[in-house]
Amino acid sequence: MAGTPSTVRTNSRLIKWIDTRLPLFTFVQDAAIDYPEPRNLNYFWNFGSLAGTMLVIMITTGIFLAMQYTPHVDYAFSSVERLMRDVNYGWLLRYIHMNGASFFFIVVYIHIFRGYYYGSYKEPRELLWMLGVVILLLMMATAFFGYVLPWGQMSYWGATVITNLFTAIPVIGNPIHTWLLGGFAVGNPTLNRFFSLHYLLPFVIVGVVGLHLIALRQHGSNNPLGIAVKGPQDEIPFHPYYTIKDMFGLGVFLVIYAIFIFYLPNALGDPQNYIEANPLQTPPEIVPEWYLLPFYAILRSIPDKLIGVLALFASIFILFLLPWLDTSRVRSSYFRPIHKWVFWLLVIDVFALGTVGAHRPEGAYIVVGRIATFYYFFHFVILLPLIGWFERPLPLPESIAAAVTKKTAAAPGAAQSGAVS
Amino acid sequence: MADLAHGKPGAGTVPLADHAPTTRRDFLTVAGYAIAAVGAVCVAWPILDSMNPAADVLAAGAPVDIDLSRVQPGQQIVVLWRSRPIFVVNRTPELLKTLQDPRDISLLSDPNSTAPQQPEYATNWHRSIQPQYLVLVGICTHLGCIPSFMPQPNSVSPGWLGGYFCPCHGSRYDLSGRVYSGVPAPYNLPVPPYRFLSKTMIRIGENPPDGGDFSLESVEQI
Amino acid sequence: MRALAVIAIASVALAGAPIAASAQDEVEAPHQNWSFAGIFGTFDRGSLQRGFQIYNEVCSNCHSMKLLHYRDLGPNGPGGGIGFSDAEVAAIAAQKQVEDGPNDQGEMFRRPGKPQDTFVSPFPNVEAARAANGGAAPPDLSVIVKARGRGLEYLWGEGGPDYVYGILTGFEDKPPTGFQLTQGKYYNNIFPGHQISMPPPLADNTVKFQDGTKATLSQEAHDAATFLTWAAEPNMEDRKQTGAKAILFLLAMTGVLYGAKRRVWKDLH
Repeated sequence: MAGTPSTVRTNSRLIKWIDTRLPLFTFVQDAAIDYPEPRNLNYFWNFGSLAGTMLVIMITTGIFLAMQYTPHVDYAFSSVERLMRDVNYGWLLRYIHMNGASFFFIVVYIHIFRGYYYGSYKEPRELLWMLGVVILLLMMATAFFGYVLPWGQMSYWGATVITNLFTAIPVIGNPIHTWLLGGFAVGNPTLNRFFSLHYLLPFVIVGVVGLHLIALRQHGSNNPLGIAVKGPQDEIPFHPYYTIKDMFGLGVFLVIYAIFIFYLPNALGDPQNYIEANPLQTPPEIVPEWYLLPFYAILRSIPDKLIGVLALFASIFILFLLPWLDTSRVRSSYFRPIHKWVFWLLVIDVFALGTVGAHRPEGAYIVVGRIATFYYFFHFVILLPLIGWFERPLPLPESIAAAVTKKTAAAPGAAQSGAVS
Repeated sequence: MADLAHGKPGAGTVPLADHAPTTRRDFLTVAGYAIAAVGAVCVAWPILDSMNPAADVLAAGAPVDIDLSRVQPGQQIVVLWRSRPIFVVNRTPELLKTLQDPRDISLLSDPNSTAPQQPEYATNWHRSIQPQYLVLVGICTHLGCIPSFMPQPNSVSPGWLGGYFCPCHGSRYDLSGRVYSGVPAPYNLPVPPYRFLSKTMIRIGENPPDGGDFSLESVEQI
Repeated sequence: MRALAVIAIASVALAGAPIAASAQDEVEAPHQNWSFAGIFGTFDRGSLQRGFQIYNEVCSNCHSMKLLHYRDLGPNGPGGGIGFSDAEVAAIAAQKQVEDGPNDQGEMFRRPGKPQDTFVSPFPNVEAARAANGGAAPPDLSVIVKARGRGLEYLWGEGGPDYVYGILTGFEDKPPTGFQLTQGKYYNNIFPGHQISMPPPLADNTVKFQDGTKATLSQEAHDAATFLTWAAEPNMEDRKQTGAKAILFLLAMTGVLYGAKRRVWKDLH
């Protein structure tokens, strides 16, 4: 920080001895204690650290669940039920992990929409954003593999439908499909490799999260005003301010999470998955987990197999291009009178897609699905570049500090969490 | 920025250095972090406890019944109880005689079974309920291999009286599972809880009605 | 931006949408009062034991429960069992004949059941079950209550006891006029499509309860559904009680952390 090489502040000779040889303590001090953050971050900036916490929770519970799980088509379902019945606190571990997947996605989706609203992907943070999209993709793959493991009806048929997406690829589609499955239909080889990948990918995510954090440190956090930090008066050290704020946010989050674990444990799952996989019987409706529904809706809205699959992948990959599709000079939507509203259109659009994805493609759902799919791409490809051209942003404040004092002076006792919220 | 921590908290737009964190440990902050730490410890328990034997593993340790008429004189049968090999030996009078041979006793490490490797009712010279039938956990007290049953005299070495020989590291036991001195195994072979249901039936895993509450959890070494 | 928080909560609510949107020809089962419902709900041990008696005497003739063991019913079973002692469990298990082996001659043999045995299935395999039941294999009942869960009860992690109760009491002797009933099927008000392969399993006095409770159809259905709910998730009581403690702890922690956060940030404004 500030160019001066720092050393850890301590009176302990042991810590000094270690730190001289392996500067772990100095690193922690620089990265998590003294690290300067904009002083105006609001509570939506909690979701980054929440996502990190969820990753730790998922990996921890996952390692212990794997000790009890048998990746074989004859035993997978009953080994999960043994976990629920016979293993000490097995039910708790499983419900933490099962609902953890959903809460991980809730946290990450809010984190993404926060980044979008405040323009956190804009120069110089393009790679930070793109690494985030990579993490999202890896999370989706991990969640998909994980959902197959209990070997219920929805596991089996979800795996069947999703792997069949690859058959849409011309010429090499079918060989790729067979290669992915290790057979001609989802079976024991598929279950084994999905288990292996489900165990592997979270550690890949940890690696990409490391890169995400390195990229974050390079230019520091964006902030609700979207303007650059101009000097020390705009900043506060991470500790104690954001440590305690993150801890409080974590507490609130854990209360909601615990309500689901203990009182609504299966609410986010499908009852069909309590029926053991049966290759001879398709369930009345195949629905992916809620966090994949918007993308599933895009797939189903297009009445052509190949184009549908391409649209599904495009809907995620388009996020990689977001830093260049948005032509505005201003980061934060707080100062963008038109984009502020268009943002909400996108939110509504994604919710509409999610709802469509949960229902059979019949009647109004088809129409809504197609309109929503159209808008999704229209929003990113047409609307966003255009708005950047003709929108006239509000005047930006001189500095973060100036904005904070102005607001504090205008409204004493205003929310201490930040300038805008 | 090492001076950061020593600044005084300020207000308004004073620069970062002046806002630096207070060194005063606020009670609420300490309490908050302490409660969170307690919570983390509470969560650790269920996670670690999941690695303990599950209900099905414990239930699989239910007693096993053995018909002794299957065991010919001088022979041993091995049954599995709680995933462990259990030796059941029908000892002939000649074999039993070796157990009281002073030559044998002088070479033993714990001839009187003082270490708690067996229930009360098997703490005797023959280490069993009835002298004829020996019941042992067939796991060497050294590093857990299964000792071989070698009842023939001189079969392991000259002067061998008959007993158990562990192929892994050469530990030797006599025909009541008592360990000889000078071998790596530290203790006698354990005797599991068992009782006679009739003259020819034993049940492994249950103490006799008046036999106390011995269990293998209390032995020195399996 | 506040609205994003509202959206976040709404998204949680919306996630329940796929459950609400099930098949259209479905009739909602009338809601019953269950002792295990709610935050502090517990299983009624008497009802559980009567429910097991019904399973044992009636349902088990066609339906397996492969995920349960006789030991589960005893004090060391998951969730503390259904109130039977070890001796009672051993007696129940001993009434069953279990295939075991191979023995010393390499042959399979039959022996009386032991507590650690899984519930004996009525049919050796699914093909035999199908053949004996007119082509429709009776489903395993171990987690049937969770598999048939719907609506709010499912959300609360109790599965679908209302549905099970509804099926058991929902048979009609004659289908409504104009309804074409396939040969060998039975009319049921609750079953999706109304045509069910299972003949009405319960009627008044189908069983004689050991505890002297009057065996009306609704009593029997209630007890059977209670037992099946326990069977689907025997640790439910433990889950809810642990949950209450965990959430109270988290609320207290969050409260203190909020105070601490205000204290720390007070200097800044």
